[in-house]
Amino acid sequence: MFDTARFEGKRRVRGTAILAVGLSLYSAFIVWYFTVLEDVDAEEVFADAPPALIEAFGIAQLGTIEGFLGAQIYMFLWLVGLGIYFAYTGAGLVATDIEQGRMDLLGVFPISRARLLSEKFAALIVPLLVLNLVVGVVIYVLVLGIGESVDPVRLIMAHVLSIPYLLVCAAIGMLLSVVVDRASIAERSAMGLIFLLWLGDSVVSGAGDYSWLAYLSPTYYYEPTPVLIDGSYELLHSLVLLGIFAGLFVISIMLFKRRDL
Amino acid sequence: MATIEVENLTKYYGDIRGVDGLSFTVDSGEVFGFLGPNGAGKTTAIRTLLGLLSPTSGSATVLGADIRNESELIEAKRRIGYLPDHLGFNEELTGTQILDYHASVKGENRRAELLELFTPPVDRAIRGYSSGNKRMLGIIQAFMHDPDLVVLDEPTSGLDPLKQERFNEFLREERDRGTTILFSSHILSEVRQICDRVGILRDGKLVELEEIETLLNRSGKRVRVQTTHDGREALAALDGVIDIYQFDDGMQFIYTGGYNTLFAELSKHDIQEADISEPPLEDIFLHYYGDESAPTAEVSSDV
Repeated sequence: MFDTARFEGKRRVRGTAILAVGLSLYSAFIVWYFTVLEDVDAEEVFADAPPALIEAFGIAQLGTIEGFLGAQIYMFLWLVGLGIYFAYTGAGLVATDIEQGRMDLLGVFPISRARLLSEKFAALIVPLLVLNLVVGVVIYVLVLGIGESVDPVRLIMAHVLSIPYLLVCAAIGMLLSVVVDRASIAERSAMGLIFLLWLGDSVVSGAGDYSWLAYLSPTYYYEPTPVLIDGSYELLHSLVLLGIFAGLFVISIMLFKRRDL
Repeated sequence: MATIEVENLTKYYGDIRGVDGLSFTVDSGEVFGFLGPNGAGKTTAIRTLLGLLSPTSGSATVLGADIRNESELIEAKRRIGYLPDHLGFNEELTGTQILDYHASVKGENRRAELLELFTPPVDRAIRGYSSGNKRMLGIIQAFMHDPDLVVLDEPTSGLDPLKQERFNEFLREERDRGTTILFSSHILSEVRQICDRVGILRDGKLVELEEIETLLNRSGKRVRVQTTHDGREALAALDGVIDIYQFDDGMQFIYTGGYNTLFAELSKHDIQEADISEPPLEDIFLHYYGDESAPTAEVSSDV
């Protein structure tokens, strides 16, 4: 049972470990940088910046450690960086195996295609959980290390709420992977799409009449900074993300069952 | 019941033909050869039979399972081994890791035995493998769960002659154990050595399907004669004489008629030497594929 998930999960361990170290180092740099910037009034620095930019980078709350982490790590790393990473990884699930001739052997395994794809996707749990857990703990410890504090429950929530969002990103990648024949095209378009969705969300969110367009982007439904600052979040948004994920997942499986390998 | 039954199987990739109206059966315990040059549709046919491609039209059953029915085919796949033409393994993993994965999904009751016969360096990462080593790893994964049907797509490409011989021997033993084998190749000598029956694919169609001996009989005899000028002319004019090569004092041709007529004609002339043999399978192949690539008849002076 779950042999493919186990096999693929093990293959992800190394990359996940490297990524966890990299993200931890980046987080350490950000936390250290906060101590340097403590005396600078961020709002003043960015006073002339366009509102969309201030919105996109959460500049308004840069003065507190929560706001700073929210903008520099959760918006930048989790929402954009990991969003793109999971979309990229999802886009490689099927397309690279087909391109490199591995799907021939997997396709004759005595398991259904639905199960094959589900198990391959399930292996993404490894980076999803490890990165959230390791980097979350690292950030918490580092913040304590510089003599600041962050509410652990809010920190945990910021990570937990990222999971539905990252699942959607991975599922967008998986759908592209099933539809597109060439891995590089699937991967690049998945990465580009997440970036564009995030950009679109940022640009239209302060744009009055068109602000509803932001609803189309999964990035709209994951807002780590408010969670960190005052613990507020919309459960409905997470449910929307889970719904989108389920839809993308089902469509991917249906298309994968039908396509030629 | 036949192990593989193919009925009018057609597969198009958009407008591009993969196979067209393919029909054949492979009986249980038989080694069936799928012969054809690269691009003839062998791999398409095989991949369609294994459910990797869905047929455009037509039907087929493999070990009794309808290839269009996923759940039936999954059951059948437990008893199928497959060695694809192009072997993609995860380059960063070792042979052992790959085999462990295949074992967990399919089973491995013959793994140890196969590793003694075929000897890829299983402790090393695949990226360091030669094509022969990859092929051997592929052979092991195809047979390790002791399947009833094994589908081999160009199995010997990359194997050195010694390993190739060992593999051929292994296949004969497998056949004697009752394993059904579908074997695709573009190498005639290989098919001739191993297969009980052969289907020749050309441009996506099955051109001929005969037991090899029948095929050889039907495709005539190769006749070499040293005789007089008049004799050569008379023989060349005989019905059923094709592919004539003239030498200084003799000729070679393929004769598709009856022996009596041939001997009656031969007896009328002064024959210094005569040799009647089976034509090489290559020639039969050319016969079925037309002669666009056949060497043009040329006069050889040193015979």
